[in-house]
Parts: sequence; structure tokens; C-alpha cells
Amino acid sequence: MTFSVAESSDLERARRRIFLALFTALAVALNTVEVLLPSPVPWFRLGLANILTVTVLLLYGPRAAWAVTLGRIIVGSLLLGRLFSPGFFLSLGGGAAAVAVMTAAWKLCGARIGPVGISCLGAAAHAAGQMLLAWAILVRHDALWQLFPLLLLASLVTGVLNGAVADMLLETLKGHPAFAGLRDAGRKNSSR
Amino acid sequence: MRYSRFFILLLPAAALAAFLFWRFGAAGEESVVRRQFLMGTLVEITVPAAPSGTADAVDRAFAEMRRVEELMRPDGPGSEAAAITAAEGPIEVGSETAEVIALGMKVARLSGGGFDMGLGRLKTLWGIETEHPRVPKPEEILSALEGTGPEDLMTDGNRVLKSDPRLAVDLGAIAKGFAIDRAAEILRNSGVTRAVVNAGGDLCVIGDRGDRPWRIGIQHPRDPGALLATLSLENVSVVTSGDYERFFEAQGQRYHHLFDPRTGYPAGLAQSMTVVAPSAALADALATAAFVLGPEQGLALLKEFSQVEGLLVAADGTIFISEGLREKVEWP
Amino acid sequence: MALKSVLRRMTLLDRAIVMVLGMFAGSLLLGINSRAPGENILVEREGKIIFTAPLKEEREIRLKGIRGEAVLIVREGGAEMIEAPCPRKVCMGMGRIDQDGEIIACVPNGLLVRIEGGNEPEKTYDVLSR
Repeated sequence: MTFSVAESSDLERARRRIFLALFTALAVALNTVEVLLPSPVPWFRLGLANILTVTVLLLYGPRAAWAVTLGRIIVGSLLLGRLFSPGFFLSLGGGAAAVAVMTAAWKLCGARIGPVGISCLGAAAHAAGQMLLAWAILVRHDALWQLFPLLLLASLVTGVLNGAVADMLLETLKGHPAFAGLRDAGRKNSSR
Repeated sequence: MRYSRFFILLLPAAALAAFLFWRFGAAGEESVVRRQFLMGTLVEITVPAAPSGTADAVDRAFAEMRRVEELMRPDGPGSEAAAITAAEGPIEVGSETAEVIALGMKVARLSGGGFDMGLGRLKTLWGIETEHPRVPKPEEILSALEGTGPEDLMTDGNRVLKSDPRLAVDLGAIAKGFAIDRAAEILRNSGVTRAVVNAGGDLCVIGDRGDRPWRIGIQHPRDPGALLATLSLENVSVVTSGDYERFFEAQGQRYHHLFDPRTGYPAGLAQSMTVVAPSAALADALATAAFVLGPEQGLALLKEFSQVEGLLVAADGTIFISEGLREKVEWP
Repeated sequence: MALKSVLRRMTLLDRAIVMVLGMFAGSLLLGINSRAPGENILVEREGKIIFTAPLKEEREIRLKGIRGEAVLIVREGGAEMIEAPCPRKVCMGMGRIDQDGEIIACVPNGLLVRIEGGNEPEKTYDVLSR
């Protein structure tokens, strides 16, 4: 069987859309599961959905990462019934900060940075972004800042773990024909 | 990509610098807190998120309180209260002293003598503010009360007349409130929109706390470390009179500083009385009067005035609270 | 197994990021914790600070007031007045203070002892009426 060039890129685009939708759905699922899980302290979250953001960033580039993250936050909040609640804005702030920093790191460092590094930076940015937003819209109390080092440390741990999982996921996907050669495609897509 | 390494270093450094500046560098939100010993107590003025020039206004507020103290203290060369005490006949005083006495006489009348500004001789007799307080003999008390009563002072414009030439004037239960009002006035006129003037627990709050009303803790009359209640209020004065503030013990009896002008002995119907009013002078006088009158008559007295509320702990510990405070109170 | 290969695939920059972030968080944590007990005790007379010292250093201080000598004792991170020349000894009755913003006021003696710095105490009110 042979494909024309146009057909091949059409197929590629369709495949890409389907996978992005799938990743977003997975991210929403992880997000929801995580909220349902008991947590030792209210502000502590595993940030499992970031696994998928990192994976998508490395597979398809920044725009895909933004799409998955924003999609995840909006659909996830709808699902949990807290769209436009303070918690929603905290997630949005944290998520946006995380993707911005991860994208910047990925663009600037190229192949020198791997999923673990990206994930860690993302988690730290998430913590910082949430903190700033919590300060801005919720509590203007100095005690908030005593929480920050703990939050940062916790985010570092979850960042390493999530990065490791993303790395394994990427290794597995790379072996699959649907993603063959895509690890660099992300870079190509974005450089346009 | 040649500069990427540079940017990697620059980005977090810039973010860190921005964070540190934002966290520690913003100086505009400093609050001003000043304390001075005035009117026999510690006066504290707090201005949160103070605009520049506030410290100067706070200093002027303290100076104003000192001026009022000199004017209304029971003795001293500059005191108009002392001048009234010394006067044989009618005497001309400043408009402020006349205003304070007129307000005090209104409270004295409405309380049926539960409030009296002519207790100078009685207070000297008990010596409760001195190092050697004592329980006077009944006949001494009766003689010190001669000439006192709900009509013992009269004002006509700025003229003050005593009904009995021997009457010794003591404005202690109202002058502190008036001084607080004056300090608050100075702050307001200087553009301060949020502040607390706290004279040893008698206070005036200006504006709110920013995002919420001021939360005013009320001292528990029997447990020094505990709160009786917390009131959420804006733009009011709050004065508490309690039997725990000043007292001495003699022969196993406790004698406190809030005398019933009708008997000459410490009033026994209440443990503490908190009054919330538009002015601190009124709150001060009413707190003393309602403390003396006790739960029923005391709270009825407060109803005679508009925008005045109260919280009273009776001698047996029962708590009475006026209608208007019920939505603003929190119990611990 | 899988983790080992993840470790192997981690780039130099990855490791650097983890280490730098960890050190930053750790130092912030230490910075905040080391500030907490560093509160000071201050004594004022007529608006001027006449004595100041860290609260964690134990000591007994003789303070010259308007009326006479008062004795303040600092121990176990708190301070209390144990001797006062005034008749009513209100300042002694105020007990022990150990949190930022707390005050012992000795009105007749013109002395004001207060604690500064450290963490804000958990107060449920802004101002106390008594």
C-alpha cells in the first residue's frame, strides 16, 4: 500500500488529534482520582496529571501541552462542580505557571533537559503560581509564606516521581509504531 | 541556542529577585503602632497600612489627649475640673469641659443618679487610686456624699454651677472617653481611614480592618487570660467597665473602684459592662452608669440612647446582651 | 529496573535542576525555622528603648523606673515581672509573656516591656476591650 504525501500528513494530523483528546481525557481522569484520594494535608496534591502534560510536551510540543492542561483544568472543574470557584483559579494559576516554565525550559534547553527536569520545574512553578494566586485572591496573611518551603519541597518530590513516570511512559510509547519518530516531531511542530 | 545557558540562569534569578522584592521590599503597607502612658494607663494607637505622614498625625493625636488630660484631671494647675471644684459660685469653663459635663449630666439624670461627676471627695476618702486604700466608716461616706446626686452640676452654655459649694468634681469616668474621641477626630482629619485608639481597653475604632470589620475581644471578667466574646464592629467606640480593673482587699472583702453614687460603696450588681456607642465619651459614661445600675436598669438605660448597645455580665455570671449586638458577637 | 533506566536517561541538567530546587527549598525551610525563636524582649521608658535582648537568653534584669527598681526575669523563652515598686503590682499580675506583640505595662513606674519579632501569634481579635 502506498500513500500520497497529502494523505500521510492528513492521517498524521487525525492521529495527533485523537491522541491529544485521549491524553486530555486521561489527565481529567487522573485529576479526578487524585481529588478523591485522601490527602494528609489539604494543600498537598500529587499532581499526577502533570505526567501527561510532560509527555505531551515532549511528543507534540508546547501548543499541545497548553491544550491538554487548559482542557484538563476546565473539564476537570466542570466534572467536580467547581468551575470559577477559588480552587479553580488556583489550579488555573498553578497550571499556567507550570506549562509556561516547562515550555520555556524545553525550548531553551532542547535535548539537554529530560522529562524529570521538566517535571520538577513544572511542579515548582505550579507551587509558586498557586501561592501567588492564593495570596492575591484568598488570604493576605504572612503565615501563608511559611507554607511555601514545605510546598516547594513536596512539589519537588512529586515532580521527580511524575517525571520518572513520564519518562517511562515516553520510552514505552516510543516503541509503538503510532509514535515512531514523534519524539522529534514535537520539536519540528513547534519550530514553525 | 548559544544564549540558552545564559537564559536558564537568568530566568530563575529574575524570578527569585522579583519574589524577594515583592515579599520583603514593598514598604508602603507598614502599619504604625505608637504607645504612650497617658491618663493613668497605656494608650496605644494603631494605624494599619498607614499612608506617609501618619506617624505625625499619631503624635498630634497623643498631644491632643495629653491636652485633654491636663484640662480634665481632678487636680493640677491647668485643670478646669479642679477650678470647678475650687469655685464657690458659677464658673466659666472652656466649651469642651462644658460639653463633657453636659453629656455627663444627661447620663446622670437618665440613670437616676447611677452616674455622678461629683464623687471627688468620695474617691479621695477611699483612696483607691493611691497606695493606701482603706474602707471608710459609714459616717465618713455619708458626709462625702453630701451635695452629690443627679442634679449636683448644672451647665448653662459654658457656665457651670455646683448645687453645693463643697462638691469635688471628678471627670474620671468620662474624660478618658472624651480624650479618645479627640484623638480619633485628629486622625480622621489627617486622612486616616483605618485606626484603633486604645486607652487601656477603652477604645475607638475608625473604619474597618480592610477586608473585614475590626474584631474587638471583650475581656472575661473572671478569667484574665480568656475572652468573654468577640465583637465585629466598624466606626464605633467600645468601653468596658469591670470590677476586676482596680480593687483592693480588706478583711477578706474585695473593694473595686466603681462606686454606686447612691450608697458610696462599690456597686455589686455586675462583674463587667461593655458599651458600644458612637462616641467614646458617651460609651465611657454609660459603661460606668450601667455597671452601677445592674442588668435590668442598666440595659434599659442604654435603650434611651440611639445606636448604643451593651454586653453585661451580672454579679452571678449571667450574660446579658442587647438586641443590636446579637448578630455581631461571637462566643469563644 | 525501570527506575534504574530512568536514572540513566536523566541528563546532567535534570540532576542539576533537582539539586538546586532541593537546596533552595531546604534553605527556605531552614531560614523560616531559624527565625521563629529569635524573638527579642524590649523595655521602654518614656518612649525610649532602655533595654533589649534575645528572649532565649535567660537573665534577670533590674529596671530603673520612675518610681523605683523593678525586676524582670527572662527564662524559657518568656518574660515576667517578679518585683515591682508600685502598690498594686498590676504588672506582676500580668504574668508571663512569650509571643510577639505581648506587653507588660507598668503604668505608675512608666515601664513598658514588650516582645518583638518571630511569628505572629494566633490572635482571634484585633484589639481587647477591658
